[in-house]
Order: sequence, then structure tokens, then C-alpha cells
Amino acid sequence: MDTTVAELGTVTRALLGMIRDGGDERTLAGRICRACVDGLDVDGAAVSLFTASDSRQTLWATDPVAEMLEELQFTLDEGACMEAATTGRPVLVPDVHRPADTGRWPIFAAAVAEQTPVRALFALPLQWGAVNLGVLDLYRTTPGRLSDLQWRDALAAVDTASLMILGLRTDPGVHADGAGGWLDHTIGHRAEIHQATGMVLAQLGISPTDALARMRGHAFAHQRLLVDVARDVVAKRLVFTEDMT
Amino acid sequence: MSGPTREDCVGQAFVALADTVVDDYDIIDLLDRLVGHSVDLLAAHAAGLLLADGRGQLRVVAASSEDAQTMELLQMQSDDGPCLECYRTVSQVRVPDLVDVADRWPTFVAAVERAGGFRSVHTIPLRLRGQAIGAMNLFHRDPGPLPEADLALGQALADVATIGILSERAVRRGEVLTEQLQTALNSRVIVEQAKGVTAQHLGLPMDAAFDRLRRFARTRNLRLAEVARQVVGGELDPSELGRSHG
Repeated sequence: MDTTVAELGTVTRALLGMIRDGGDERTLAGRICRACVDGLDVDGAAVSLFTASDSRQTLWATDPVAEMLEELQFTLDEGACMEAATTGRPVLVPDVHRPADTGRWPIFAAAVAEQTPVRALFALPLQWGAVNLGVLDLYRTTPGRLSDLQWRDALAAVDTASLMILGLRTDPGVHADGAGGWLDHTIGHRAEIHQATGMVLAQLGISPTDALARMRGHAFAHQRLLVDVARDVVAKRLVFTEDMT
Repeated sequence: MSGPTREDCVGQAFVALADTVVDDYDIIDLLDRLVGHSVDLLAAHAAGLLLADGRGQLRVVAASSEDAQTMELLQMQSDDGPCLECYRTVSQVRVPDLVDVADRWPTFVAAVERAGGFRSVHTIPLRLRGQAIGAMNLFHRDPGPLPEADLALGQALADVATIGILSERAVRRGEVLTEQLQTALNSRVIVEQAKGVTAQHLGLPMDAAFDRLRRFARTRNLRLAEVARQVVGGELDPSELGRSHG
């Protein structure tokens, strides 16, 4: 009787299944890429991360073509992945050979057509609020869109992957509450956590990611739940200062 | 002699919603207005709206009052409550007296009591092609069913807003619904963070911080999400938010 969109796609299910596995960003990126190639109608995938110092790094590519796509964009400083990172929105290129699809990055499109067998490209930003954590690039050697079902799965998977990477980046260490506790969707999207992140970043003049890391560190050190720490921050029972842990 | 009639207000509400979807709008702005109009026109004491994310989880995107208790009432329904039921069944859920559902949704009913004595709740689905994409809660302090005419009006407002979500602009850009909803939910994360920054800088509670952000955006014809992004990114000083517009 459910007519909602509650049904999870295969890639999303695969990612949710690996939440408690641990590992570093590179391991995680590799698993995300493999889950996409297994579950979606694509030939390859790559995850590139963007750090505060504005440096970009390809963390994982499933094959030389996927790696080449990342290289080209970084070298030419344009492309679908770059656009996804800047705008925070997914970019679909159903046919790389069609100028209408690639008008915004003609040099990149020409290079892809000349140097790779890639025909369709999908760049999905790994986004947390205004913070871009990286981009998941998917490619296929035949033109065309992903089906609605697969596209929905890809978007949900990227949402999950973003929380996983954010979890690793703000992990207070030694697998604190485990990435699992943080990643539980009802925790990761609690309004108080976002509000408290805003308060702490204003208190310390740091980035949203660092503010979240400070709160998780505090929760870990005091053996409390992140959401309770967040509530204390919002209620002004807890104020972060430079020298506190 | 008297103020505008209800018919005038209804007309204005539809015109305002329609205007919103013509411009380069944000879904959260649109839904924020939907919630505001619904409270005014249906004499509700509070209203809130949840959208489903890519995993089918309901997440809060708009509320008539952004105080902690109302937000919590909405947020907790991602697990259980009238909103989840409305979303799952794609039909209105009517609870004329919350006492009657204390067994069915004990956690929700207890939270409602804590939140200031609402006595009834009605929930309207946001429908698109036979699917629900979310649900809107209407809270009243008095028990009793909402008149059919009011529910029909609430549903019509919700339908107009939902149609607006898949507007011509979105279709032109080749976006699909899921993508739009995800962008809206992500915008909401930025808005929550901006509320925090504003509350900290100006020493305000969260609902007052949100009012500042919203008023600033509306009087200057800016998108709420963009104003929020600038506040979080340090490009807009929260003290600017208090200034009356020229």
C-alpha cells in the first residue's frame, strides 16, 4: 500500500550497510565508487575531495578512464565535476558529444571526446549545508540519462556518502561513538546540531566542519551524545572557548 | 469599515504563492510562505512542513514558529506521528482531539502536551502524481474537527505549492523532483546553521534569529538560502540583519 518513495535503491542500501565498517577516507571512497558501478548503469566512478586549502585530490578512481576525467578537469580547471563542486548541485551530461550539454566547458568537452571513450557524465556533489566535501563523478561509454529510479538512488547514496565523509572528517578519534552513531540519519539531520554548529562557529570564528568536530570532540571527551551537547549549546548552557576541550 | 474578507485573503495567498513560483525561487521560501498562509487562513496556532529525503526520511523544512518545541514536534514525526502516516497513506490525517490518539502515538501526544497545549492536529499531504513528497501539520489549541471547507482550502494551497516545486524552470534545467527536494533539504541545513550564527552574534533565541533572517531576505527580495549562506560564510555580518531596510 505504500505509494511513497521510501523504497531504497541498491547503492544507498550498500552504503548504509558499510556505515559501521570504519576505515579512512580513501577506503570509504573506494567502497562508494564500487557500490555505484555495481548498482548503477555506469562504467566507472571517481571521488575527488576538496579541502580548505583549495587543493583537490582524487581519492579513488575505479579505472584509468575515471582517473583521466578527474585529471582533465583539474588541469583545465573546468568541467562537470568543478561545476558541481562550485554550485553544490548535481550536473548531468547525457551526451558529451552534444554541444548543448557541454556548452559551459567547451575545452573540457573537447578533451573528453578526444582522449576518452566517455559519452555520458554525472557529477554529484558531496554536500553538507554550504560546505562542499567533494564530488562523486560517474561516467558511461554510451550516451543517455540514468533512469529515474537509478538517479534517485544515486542522489540518496550521495547524501549518505556525504554524512559518512563528514563523520570521518569530524571524528574525535579512536572511533568515538563509531561513525554509526553520528551517521544515524535521525542524528545527522537533527536541527539542533546544525544550529549549534552555527553558534560554535560564531563563538570560535572557525568553519562549520571544524565547529562540528569541536562538538563531537567534546561529546566524546565527556561521554555524552552529540545531540545533547548541541542542545546545551543552543540553550547557552555550554559555550565553547579557545582553550577548552 | 471592516478589514479584508477571508475571500480577499485567500485570493492574496494564492497570488502570492503563484508569484513565488514564477520568479527564481527557492523551495524553502515557497514552503515557508505556504506554512504562513495556512496558519493565517485556517486559524491554526502553529503549522509545520516536512519533506521526504532520498531515503524516504521526513525532514523539517518549514515551520510557522521556529521555537525549539514546535521544531521538535515536527522533527519527531520522522519516526512516528500524523505526518508520517499522512505521507505513507498520501491522504489527510484528522485528529480532532489528541486525547483519542494517546495510545496510538504516545510519544507524539506527550510532546504536544509539553509544547503548549495543542488539542487537535490535521495533516495535509503534499501530493504529486499519486505520490506524497511530504506533509503539512496544522495545530489548533481547541479540540474539534477542521471544517471540510478549511481542509479543502489547505489542500488547495498545498497543491499549488507542490506544483510550483516542479516548475517550468526546474523542467527546463532538466532537474528531477528528488534533486530539487534534496537541494531544499540541504538549504535547510544552511538555514539552521545561519540561525545559530545569528543567535550567537545577536544574543537571540532561535525563533527570533530566524525572523531576522527571513525579514532581511524578504524585504530585500533575496533568497533565504542565499542570505543564510552569506551569514554562515562570514560575508554578511549578522548585525546587518537588524537594520530596517531603506
